Amino acid sequence: MTSQLQQQHARVNTIVKNALPILGLIISLAAAPAYPHHSFAMFDREKVVSMKGVVREFQWTNPHCWVQLVAKDDHGASQDWALEALSPNVIGRMGWKRNSLKPGDEITAFFNPTRDGSHGGNLVKVTRADGTVVGDSP
Amino acid sequence: MISRACNARIALRAAVTSLLLLSGASLTFVPEPVRGETAAQAARKPVQPPMPYRLADGHPNWTGFWAPSPGMLEFNIGLGGVPAGAPLAAMVRPFSHFSALKSPYKEQLATAMREADAGKVMDPVAQCFPPGMPRMMGMVYGMELLQTPGQIAVTSEWQASSRRIWLNQSSHTPAEELDPTYAGESIGHWEGDTLVVDTIGIRGDVPLNYDSLPHSDKLHVVERFTETTPGKLTDEITIEDPDAFVAPWKEIETYRYRPDLRIREFVCLENNRNVGEHGEAVFDKK
Repeated sequence: MTSQLQQQHARVNTIVKNALPILGLIISLAAAPAYPHHSFAMFDREKVVSMKGVVREFQWTNPHCWVQLVAKDDHGASQDWALEALSPNVIGRMGWKRNSLKPGDEITAFFNPTRDGSHGGNLVKVTRADGTVVGDSP
Repeated sequence: MISRACNARIALRAAVTSLLLLSGASLTFVPEPVRGETAAQAARKPVQPPMPYRLADGHPNWTGFWAPSPGMLEFNIGLGGVPAGAPLAAMVRPFSHFSALKSPYKEQLATAMREADAGKVMDPVAQCFPPGMPRMMGMVYGMELLQTPGQIAVTSEWQASSRRIWLNQSSHTPAEELDPTYAGESIGHWEGDTLVVDTIGIRGDVPLNYDSLPHSDKLHVVERFTETTPGKLTDEITIEDPDAFVAPWKEIETYRYRPDLRIREFVCLENNRNVGEHGEAVFDKK
């Protein structure tokens, strides 16, 4: 796992709001009712961060699915990140399956980071190493 | 003589039943879902009404799965379900345009909002309690309606929260015999093609929305369900509470019939990583 990680070119990028092509679509859908299970005040939804890493665990569970991602920080140290998605009943209808992600998968996760700076966020999109988007993301 | 009359009645009933079965009028038919199609893809197809359009008793047939429209099963708004970059205030949130509150409910809400700002959201739904009435009618995932003579069962996909609308009950249970519950007691009747439902007996400690909007145990909810166009259902909800609200207020929820979808299991306690030691909403990074 560690050697695999060392080969990773993990980095954290804060992407300017308008830089993401999906945001235009997302904002136009802002009237759609959301708020699935809990308040999202803990996430900074003005920011979308992209992070390359290796999946440690994919939890296909209610009330939320979770991607536990291992990524390198600026000093090259491995860090664990907890990324929350919606539940299987929703992302399952977006083309995700319980085995869409497996331990060891190299992915790039796009997410709204936590406001308190702790290692986590609200997932927006996941791409594989070859650039394909997992599921029917916006 | 008596037995002959009995036999004649049985024969007549059998004939009518056969006729209805042959015509399909008494059957509620929910088609098999299409595989390999995402919910958003299916939603781009024209709206379909449930078939047959009417039940044998002449009332509209609403049996099947209904999802909020517009809603997250119609578009993909990201894996987390919250549009990035959109201010929370710009989002339509169920039960957020309420009447003015009376004391002490006004102060109770102000305290809850302060706690929310401090990151201590004490929402029972985040703790996996049922949303209760009328909040369950505004949940994001959708609901299944099942009609049977005398009652309509409503199951919200949200934690399989259920309520029964009794069509075979003309008045509410006397207050002293009615135990307050999350869903309350709902009795309904048809006014033409509109289903009118009256609900009381809702627990006083179940907030009406995500911001802990309080109410008393005198909460009275009147709903008018109408299929405004084939396959589109509207629930006009009037909320009245003489103790908590200055005036009655209305909320409208709209749903689309989704023959491509079936209700899915949702057990909230399975892996809830969002509740802190004192019930506050947290983010457990384990």
